[in-house]
Amino acid sequence: MSKVMLEVNNLTTKYVTRFHENIYAVDHVSLKVEEGKSVGIAGESGCGKSTLALSLMGYYFPPLHYTSGEIIIDGQNISGMDPDKVRKSILGTEIAYIPQSAMNALNPTRKIIHFIQDVIRAHDPKATKEEIYEMAKERFDLLGLPEKVLNQFPVELSGGMKQRTVIAISVILCPKILIADEPSSALDVTSQKMVIKMLLDLMDHGIIKSMIFITHELPLLYNVTDDIMVMYAGQIVEKATAKEAVFDPIHPYSKGLMGSIIVPESGVRDAKLTAIPGVPPNLKNPPEGCHFAERCKYVQPQCTAQSIELRHLEGDRSYRCIFSEEHLREVYKND
Amino acid sequence: MRNTLRQVFRSGKFVVGFSIFMAMLLLVMIYPLFFKAPPLEIIGEGTFFPPGIYVSTLDAVNSETTYTLHLDDAAAKRLASRLSDEERLDLQEWLVLSGIPEEEIDISNTEELLSLWKSNYEPNQRFPGMTNARMRYFQRLDTSLSGLLSNEGVTISISNAETGDLEEVGSVSPSDYVNVKRVANVRVLPLGTDNFGRDVLTELVKAIQVSLQIGLVAGVIATFIGLIFGLVSGYIGGSTDDSIMFVTNLFTVIPSFVLLILISFSIGQEKRGAFTIAAVIGLTSWVWTARAVRAQVISLRNRDHVNLSKLSGHSIVHIILTDILPYVASYVIMALILQISSAILMEANLSILGLGPRTTEVPTLGLMMNWAMIYQAHILGKWWAYFPVIVSIALISFSLNLMNTGLDQVFNPTLRD
Amino acid sequence: MVTTIFAFILNFILPRLMPGDPVAAIVARYAQGMSNATGVQAIYEQYTELFGTNKPMIEQFFIYVRNVFRGDFGFSFSQYPRTVADVLQSSVWWTVCLQFPAIIVGWIIGNTLGALAAYLKKGFDKLLMPVSIFLSCLPAFGMAVVLLVIFAVNREWFPTSGGYGFDMVPNLSWKFLWSVIVHYQLPFWSIVLIAIGGQAIGMRSMAIYELNADYVKYSRFLGIRDRKIVGYVFRNAMLPQITGLALSIGTMVGGALVAEIIFSYPGLGSTILTAVMGGDYPLISATTLIVTIMVLLANFAIEIVYGLIDPRIKAAQAD
Repeated sequence: MSKVMLEVNNLTTKYVTRFHENIYAVDHVSLKVEEGKSVGIAGESGCGKSTLALSLMGYYFPPLHYTSGEIIIDGQNISGMDPDKVRKSILGTEIAYIPQSAMNALNPTRKIIHFIQDVIRAHDPKATKEEIYEMAKERFDLLGLPEKVLNQFPVELSGGMKQRTVIAISVILCPKILIADEPSSALDVTSQKMVIKMLLDLMDHGIIKSMIFITHELPLLYNVTDDIMVMYAGQIVEKATAKEAVFDPIHPYSKGLMGSIIVPESGVRDAKLTAIPGVPPNLKNPPEGCHFAERCKYVQPQCTAQSIELRHLEGDRSYRCIFSEEHLREVYKND
Repeated sequence: MRNTLRQVFRSGKFVVGFSIFMAMLLLVMIYPLFFKAPPLEIIGEGTFFPPGIYVSTLDAVNSETTYTLHLDDAAAKRLASRLSDEERLDLQEWLVLSGIPEEEIDISNTEELLSLWKSNYEPNQRFPGMTNARMRYFQRLDTSLSGLLSNEGVTISISNAETGDLEEVGSVSPSDYVNVKRVANVRVLPLGTDNFGRDVLTELVKAIQVSLQIGLVAGVIATFIGLIFGLVSGYIGGSTDDSIMFVTNLFTVIPSFVLLILISFSIGQEKRGAFTIAAVIGLTSWVWTARAVRAQVISLRNRDHVNLSKLSGHSIVHIILTDILPYVASYVIMALILQISSAILMEANLSILGLGPRTTEVPTLGLMMNWAMIYQAHILGKWWAYFPVIVSIALISFSLNLMNTGLDQVFNPTLRD
Repeated sequence: MVTTIFAFILNFILPRLMPGDPVAAIVARYAQGMSNATGVQAIYEQYTELFGTNKPMIEQFFIYVRNVFRGDFGFSFSQYPRTVADVLQSSVWWTVCLQFPAIIVGWIIGNTLGALAAYLKKGFDKLLMPVSIFLSCLPAFGMAVVLLVIFAVNREWFPTSGGYGFDMVPNLSWKFLWSVIVHYQLPFWSIVLIAIGGQAIGMRSMAIYELNADYVKYSRFLGIRDRKIVGYVFRNAMLPQITGLALSIGTMVGGALVAEIIFSYPGLGSTILTAVMGGDYPLISATTLIVTIMVLLANFAIEIVYGLIDPRIKAAQAD
């Protein structure tokens, strides 16, 4: 078994509104990421993917609050750690984050190299400017970024270039886990390809040891990640390998998701295009039982009676539904 | 639209600002209905009467119905009001010099002090080191005090038309009181009079009204010009834009204040009516609005719905009116409020310099300040002549700005805290 | 450049459009008591010649331009026989030394307070906001009067008027300088307080906006200290404030001039007042010209400073 880089146990975080209502955006989420592997997190907008990412980074600023659960990075439990220690030794060095739109992630009035200096100096105050420059240049070369970018301001870079620069900066300290939050959503197709290639290169070169890739674009995940987790309304509804999740989903929601995309992969190409009616539930008043019940085609009265636990299958596969695997496959065949 | 209005009125800041402003408007509209005196009528002979209730002494004395009231402290109060602090200290000084120990003299107890004085004072006593003038001062003081302790009243006499003698017609005893409501002539001057002798409160209300009118006119003119220029310049672009921008830059660099001074001055005293001043202010302060509107329009003009209209063949005017104007509208309303606020301030500034509207017809807030300044009210301590004016200006400005901030938060949700 | 010329022309034309003949007023003053009508007429003609009011406007304009370049602004109508240049010389420095430091100090303090309010939030912010809103709405002369009354009339800590003691003649002694400093306080602080009000609000909004920017989140994620991030934020928030200062300096100077009048401070404010009351258009013309030039210079200086501070501009120029 390879080393577990990230282990999350029953993490729950909530947003507290002005009127003191609790919205559990991340509801008892558990996951494991092993060394050398990348995990994709898929789901609709608003299902809690980005909040999960923020929670993993320990970014608890009001109105986001940590409620319970553990986050263990390479053996270190950071859930109870002193924030300053987290800042110094975890953020950036063990776990790093690539924001959704890199357009605004960089300070507009600071040159790239100066920003890199700030990042490195925050962890290693003694590093000299020359050392930093050398390291940055090397890293940029490795990742296919031109050296002159170092001396430019963010405003002088194109969208795709900015995104790749941000990726390069995020991993400058060789973190063990990289969380990529919709890294290619805001880009044109060519840039998308370059970004994906860069991320895969990072894994190959060993600069990062594992990756979490968050997206709502399912076709992407099959080509990039090893395992896929599907989230819905704050909960994980299915965990499987990429192949299993795309071609043989069990949970009704995953099935609906896969059915609603156009995938040129053979085997799925001939299937009909379907959409899932309705909208995700309002998490201010989470429904009893299964969160997906009101939109599920196969719903039965017992779905809303009690809260649904994850069912485990062979390997690391699991899904959250009251019905057995056989029952679901039966129903799907009849459609 | 209705939804926006509802949101607007729920915004705390807007409501507060709006209420203050409305309160002032109501004051301005209702007050003249009750108090019909012309605002610039001079009613006081002399300058800066302090605020208070002014009762005609003749009418009080001649009042038909007098009431007899026996109040315990009437006598003491009467005495206390006639002896100033300084005089008390003087009395004490004399008594101490005459040998009475200081601890036994309580200058706050008027009756005791006066009786001590009565029993000890000798007019011709001279103390070493006391000048003649001082001695005579004490003699005068003594004479003026002699009437105070008596409990008799005053006699009213009228001189006989034929003989010239004084004939007694009545008397007023110390325990006679009149009901102020029955007195024929009573004038309440809550804010006293100004240097010319005019009722400050009535003047102030009228001044607020005039200043608001000037502000409104100037604000509307400025916003209107700014809007037109901004729309045209932003949408049409090209050389029209360049030339309008050139003019705008000119106006930006030359401080509008300077322009105001020059234009006001050259119009001359006679032609400077309130409306003229408003127009002048409006004509010199449109720059900022024009710039802001232009920026908005430029960002709007490449939006899809505009392109759609262009493709549909609508005329430029039509596009500007239906596609661009509604988006700019919220901004324009805020600009209008700010322009009104700054116009009122500009008028005040101008008037203080003496370049405001003519002084003989209507007062404005700035003019009242001007008069107060010239006649040194602030140095003389006659606060009623300038302080209410400043407070009014501040309140108007404050309420308008609050309304503006409130509106801003409604239209730009990111600013809500 | 063009703007300057335009300002020039305006400065010249507008006062002269005023109806009435100022020369007649001066003559009337000098000819008081003279009953000889021809004599009065002669004097009138002499002065008209002197002031050049009998020549056509265009010619007057050229004479004016030529004279200005020589530093000759002509005679002051209301303070004849002083020349305008003389009058200006004594007032310009008082105004410049009072206003520009005051505006700058006010800007610095105001921005600092606004930034602090945005960062510290809660208590400090809730206290600062209403106070600044109120201060910014108070007209400059309002603040001047309030300060005057509280500190000069009631408490008598400071003098009520003038630039220096009435009994003194300008010289370089300590006593004189001290008197100047004492007289400087109230006008100075009125301008500063008003400036603080306006700046604090603006800076607070900018700082709040910047503090919520994405790059703040991102920098935090990379482990950068909050202190450093705050440094970024304030530097970024300041840039638009500098531009804002340039735009509003015109109005601020206007308000400050009026404040000067309240204190009878011997600067350009009082000069304008006397000029207006005396119908003295060379003086007004010249004073407004000087004020315009001051504002133009200030704008120019601010643009230079901005270019030095914003690193992006330096970089763009380096390419």
